[in-house]
Amino acid sequence: MKLLPVILFGFAALAQWAAPCWQIWTYEQVLAKGTLIKLKCAAPDPYDLWRGRFLAVRPAQSQVTAPLGLSLERGQPFFATFTTGPDGLATLSGVSLTPPAGNDYIRLRAGSVYDQTVTIEWPFERFYLNEKLAPEADRWFAESIRTDGGIVAEVRVDNGRGVLADLSVEGRPIREILKQRLE
Amino acid sequence: MKSSPHRWLLEHIPEWERDGLLTAEAARTLRERHLAEQASEEAHSGLAHSRLAQIVTGSLGALLVGLGLIAVIGYNWDDFSRPVRLSFAFLPLLAAQLFSLRIVLRGQTVATWVRECAGLLQALATGACLAIVSQMYNLGGEWPDLLFWWMLLSLPLVWVLPSKAVAVFYLTAVTVWSVSRMDDVGPWYNSPVMYPVLLLGLLPLWPGWPPRHVPSVFMRWLLTMSAIVGLCGAATFASNTWGPALAGESQTDLWLWTLIAAVLVLFPLSPSGMAESLGRKPQVVLGSLWLLGYGLAGTFSESNEFLLEGVLEDFTGPWTWGLLAVMAAFMMIAAFRQRWAVLAIAAIGLLPVIAYPLAAMLNWVSTVYLFGLGVMFILLEFTGRRGSPRLGAALLCALIIARMADSQFSLLTKGLVFMVAGVAFLVFNLAMTRQGRGHALKTP
Repeated sequence: MKLLPVILFGFAALAQWAAPCWQIWTYEQVLAKGTLIKLKCAAPDPYDLWRGRFLAVRPAQSQVTAPLGLSLERGQPFFATFTTGPDGLATLSGVSLTPPAGNDYIRLRAGSVYDQTVTIEWPFERFYLNEKLAPEADRWFAESIRTDGGIVAEVRVDNGRGVLADLSVEGRPIREILKQRLE
Repeated sequence: MKSSPHRWLLEHIPEWERDGLLTAEAARTLRERHLAEQASEEAHSGLAHSRLAQIVTGSLGALLVGLGLIAVIGYNWDDFSRPVRLSFAFLPLLAAQLFSLRIVLRGQTVATWVRECAGLLQALATGACLAIVSQMYNLGGEWPDLLFWWMLLSLPLVWVLPSKAVAVFYLTAVTVWSVSRMDDVGPWYNSPVMYPVLLLGLLPLWPGWPPRHVPSVFMRWLLTMSAIVGLCGAATFASNTWGPALAGESQTDLWLWTLIAAVLVLFPLSPSGMAESLGRKPQVVLGSLWLLGYGLAGTFSESNEFLLEGVLEDFTGPWTWGLLAVMAAFMMIAAFRQRWAVLAIAAIGLLPVIAYPLAAMLNWVSTVYLFGLGVMFILLEFTGRRGSPRLGAALLCALIIARMADSQFSLLTKGLVFMVAGVAFLVFNLAMTRQGRGHALKTP
């Protein structure tokens, strides 16, 4: 028996476990320790070839103004902090090229840049749903798009990473609403 | 079924026996010997077909099981807890890895189809794991992001098992990923310029590479098509990102793609690779077709400005200089190995550069060059060297048809010139045939 193929196979198998496990560990950390940020957003319903149906989450805030003297280019990463308003919804505020103090900041990528106005490329854009709930989500979305409260993305933020934990409407999780509508 | 030399010989023995060319004893000996060899050849051929059928069926089975697993995960079982959902993907991965490990430990004694199945199952189970993680944590990113990590994690299976089916998956994935990134404005390491680096993962599968792996004809065609798509994608991205002012316009891409075709045609081959038939060298076939098409397009005066503008613009981009450097190196190797026909075809890519100082003369330079090329391919064959009379004739026909489209000459002039040229070809052909017969009769 040749040893080299076995060793190489061992490394390959380990890598195949390590890649998803590392992701799981990272995102579990964010979910467990991260600060909850609520962002108002829209969410229509497309389809992914490998991962199934999802709601395409689009936070309402699509642009942020960079402070004078800070020049950003398209595709460049930057850091931002949040300011929470009296309605509990957060908006991006402080923009910098280096991580700010504390843990409640997020690492984003700049889309198009015009003067000091930067289009934000959010790191979360999908909320996966199962096939039973997705068509109902489509109908529900069409009906409730004009409601005042709108859809709120609940995002956990920790040390630059953001994980979309849930979508809610008027404080109720979206899955709960959809399941109730199906009953 | 293809006739074997043994069958041909057996069919002719009675005739030769009748004509007195063979004695009865010699005919019997020949029959016995060649009947046995024909039977053995047919048995081998049948076995090979049966093995191929097994590999195809087995791979199809593994592919369906793996895709089924991904589809089941795609359903999104959000009624279950996260650990339970993770086990949906990780347990099949573990099972596939144990199955593959058993095959690695058993070495070459395992049937090929089993090895291919194991490779495909493990690659697909890896993809399922990545898919479930990004589904559970609502991770952003398009499917090419997932594909990127999936193909990299599957690549070792190509060499460790080894699995040709995973090689096909990797190659397809690399190509699809590169094309999907072509129009993106992102960092270079997440763009098609990574394609050549990613292709290095399959380097020993390239035709002409010396080690023991001799790629199959299917793999050669797949590699070539992947290289064409991937390298053209990389060139377009590079041109858009770091290139000329006209980046994104078709004339700038056209010459870059032509240089890629020239590089493919010139790709260095070992002496045994050079001796192979053209059907086993898809890079030469496809690259030549592109170059000849480009050359023909250059013979039209209407296209001169368009083609030359693209060339001038391309010189301001670094990717062009890189391609020219590779092409120059490959040309030197081709000259060293005396691959004159290949060199002549690849040089079509440089015609706009040669014609540039002559301003609007590209159509004439191209016409003269292609005419010379066509005649050379035919003459080589007549002088007993390895030519390509059919390609030469096809090239001349294409040139003649192209000139029919020229409106600055009257139909009468064109008709007379074509007739004179046609008669000259026929007379030449007759003369060469007579000369050939004369040589054959003189030879004892």
